[in-house]
Amino acid sequence: MNVQFKKGVLELCVLVIICRRDFYGYELVQTISSNIDISEGTIYPLLRRLTKDGHFNTYIRESGEGPPRKYYQITEKGKEYKQALLEEWNQFITGVNNLIEEKDIT
Amino acid sequence: MDKAQFLTRLKRSLSRLPENEKKEILYDYEEHFRIGLDEGKTEEEIARSLGNPNVLGKLFHIDALLEEGREGKHAGAVVRAVFASLGLGFFNIIFILGPFSALLAGLISLWASAASLALSGLAVILSLILQPLLPAFIDFGGLNIAFAIFAAVGASALGLLALIGMVYLTRWFLLITEKYIRFNLRIIKK
Repeated sequence: MNVQFKKGVLELCVLVIICRRDFYGYELVQTISSNIDISEGTIYPLLRRLTKDGHFNTYIRESGEGPPRKYYQITEKGKEYKQALLEEWNQFITGVNNLIEEKDIT
Repeated sequence: MDKAQFLTRLKRSLSRLPENEKKEILYDYEEHFRIGLDEGKTEEEIARSLGNPNVLGKLFHIDALLEEGREGKHAGAVVRAVFASLGLGFFNIIFILGPFSALLAGLISLWASAASLALSGLAVILSLILQPLLPAFIDFGGLNIAFAIFAAVGASALGLLALIGMVYLTRWFLLITEKYIRFNLRIIKK
């Protein structure tokens, strides 16, 4: 798949997942990579950028078992951004599906 | 590649970032390794699924440069970011294409000179044969005929040798190009 395209889609996936509840990096990476074939390490640059842009807050929490984990929590700005991306994505998918099903083609 | 190797390579590819950024980034990957190891994965498995640390380093580097550009710190930052991102794929289009076309042009001109050397010998011999038939058109102007034949045969032989050499050179050129492109594809793939 085209690298740029994949990156855009990954951004949407990350936002949608973290919108449901707070995730730590490892857990988020596993959730995505169990559905999409990616090099897992590329999620971290994405998380870092979205955090710097104010779409996520982070906090460290000790876990019962194992080491402390850095959690990502979506902000209001992040929610708006997710909504905008989601709409863009839906429009895109609808367009592609129309083309595949040969609607609107004369 | 184990955890230490992965982190060392990542650290090296982040060398142009400020110290605190580097620490934060490395922390995230260390945490990833720790949790993965807790779940019973091996360091090698985790490193493999994380991907190439040099590519990851580039991704962080591009983001940092873009951010610098947006904050107006350096006017050249965006330009550098573009070039850094070209490094992931498009870089090759420009930086392969340049040397590649230069080399190709060189190769073609070498072919042409080898061929013309061989042909010039043939032309001299041909004109020597035709001279008695077409005295009005071909004039050697008192040139020593034996010398002309000698020079012509020499030029043709040299040209032929050069042509054979060119076959090898061309083969080698194609092989190197193919290897280089494969190497690039492997980097870009994921």
